Amino acid sequence: MSSRFGVFSSSVGTKILIGVTGVALFLYLVIHIAGNLIVFLGPAAFNRYAFVMEYGNPLLPVIEIGLLLIFLLHVYKAVTMFLANQQARPVAYVKKKYAGKPSRKSFASSTMIFSGLWLLFFIIIHVKAFRFSPEYPWPAGGRDLYRQEMENFVSPLTAGFYVLSMVVVGSHLWHGIASAFQSMGADHPKWTPRLLTTGKVIAVLMAGGFIVIALWAHFVGART
Amino acid sequence: MRLKLKIWRQAGPGTAGRLVDYAADHVSPDMSFLEMLDVVNEGLVKQGHDAIAFDSDCREGICGMCGLVVNGIPHGPDRGTTVCQLHMRRFRDGDTIVIEPWRARAFPVVKDLVVDRSALDRIITAGGYVSVNCGGAPDGNAIPIAKEVSETAMDSAACIGCGACVAACKNASAHLFMSAKISHLSLLPQGQIERYRRVVAMIEQADAEGFGSCSNEGECEAVCPKEIPISNIARMTREYFRALWVGGR
Repeated sequence: MSSRFGVFSSSVGTKILIGVTGVALFLYLVIHIAGNLIVFLGPAAFNRYAFVMEYGNPLLPVIEIGLLLIFLLHVYKAVTMFLANQQARPVAYVKKKYAGKPSRKSFASSTMIFSGLWLLFFIIIHVKAFRFSPEYPWPAGGRDLYRQEMENFVSPLTAGFYVLSMVVVGSHLWHGIASAFQSMGADHPKWTPRLLTTGKVIAVLMAGGFIVIALWAHFVGART
Repeated sequence: MRLKLKIWRQAGPGTAGRLVDYAADHVSPDMSFLEMLDVVNEGLVKQGHDAIAFDSDCREGICGMCGLVVNGIPHGPDRGTTVCQLHMRRFRDGDTIVIEPWRARAFPVVKDLVVDRSALDRIITAGGYVSVNCGGAPDGNAIPIAKEVSETAMDSAACIGCGACVAACKNASAHLFMSAKISHLSLLPQGQIERYRRVVAMIEQADAEGFGSCSNEGECEAVCPKEIPISNIARMTREYFRALWVGGR
């Protein structure tokens, strides 16, 4: 360990960083879904919210750059850790089975790198569609994000891709929420079992919430 | 009982290995798993073949010497036991059993089912000594320790260093092993002086040995013959975090 920062290149330091950035990204996702749900209140409320977020917030560039850095750090550390972990077992087992309880292994936990890479791909498309795209002006100020969203979900292919990607978000959170706390060293005899359950419930709620919005936009919002 | 065995045979560290089929025809349900292998080996030696190499010592689950992956699970299907405590009554007549060695870059195969686990010893060595006063032995119970603390430390100290945690982990990580050793000493007053230097040195050594990182799946806990929980890994992270602030060495 050459410096205090060198600590973060160790296997435990890497876990801490992935956990901390994971929690930060999760908190952003909570704000994101809360904002998205305003879409059900109609174009005026939704566009007003978008206007306040975009123009009423002088810290927006700082937050955006910070979020991007956190995201890139999460991806970079997770990918390099995955590659290093692959090196740790050069000869695979002929037969390997789930060891049973109390193991927390699940389909979600076994596919974190794949769900994560899927989300990287999704987020690039998603940010391009909503952040870096032609805008419709909204008479009361800002842009007509409501119309932009409804037009985005007209295509069944796009809606389907979003729904599938939100299932992937749910899978990533299914293991990720509780795992992030364990990675940061947070463990408690009473609270950890509750966190394990709560994490899965939140994962389902988050994925379900985003899916409902996408389906509603496709079947209802885009046609009215 | 008659069993079909598929056993990993590998001549040496650098050579390629493969699963070889064997028939075990006179197996008693009362035999331990290792006694069954002894009988198979007896037959092989009588026929002039090379015996299957596997590690064992105490054969009562306390030394940490034995370790086989039985049908895809380190130490076999039973919870909280080593493979020497596994009995043939756990299997049915006609079963096929796949037997493999621990697989990890840090555990090179010596021969067949025997692997070199000295990487774990080097992690312990990196942890270093525990400072104690010279002179006569202190009186028993002279150092007050809360009951819960001493019990948690004892639960961690129960680790026998068999390496099943590494074998079970998809990343071949030694985090459960290390965290048990680190927890054991960081909880006790005797371990305080080198507390922060120890955690940093052991983690650095494990990384240098080529073990992987931890994905919080807990397969290690499920196969650990001493049922050491992954809450130890969270404690190790906290210890590492503290070491980061106070300066690990």
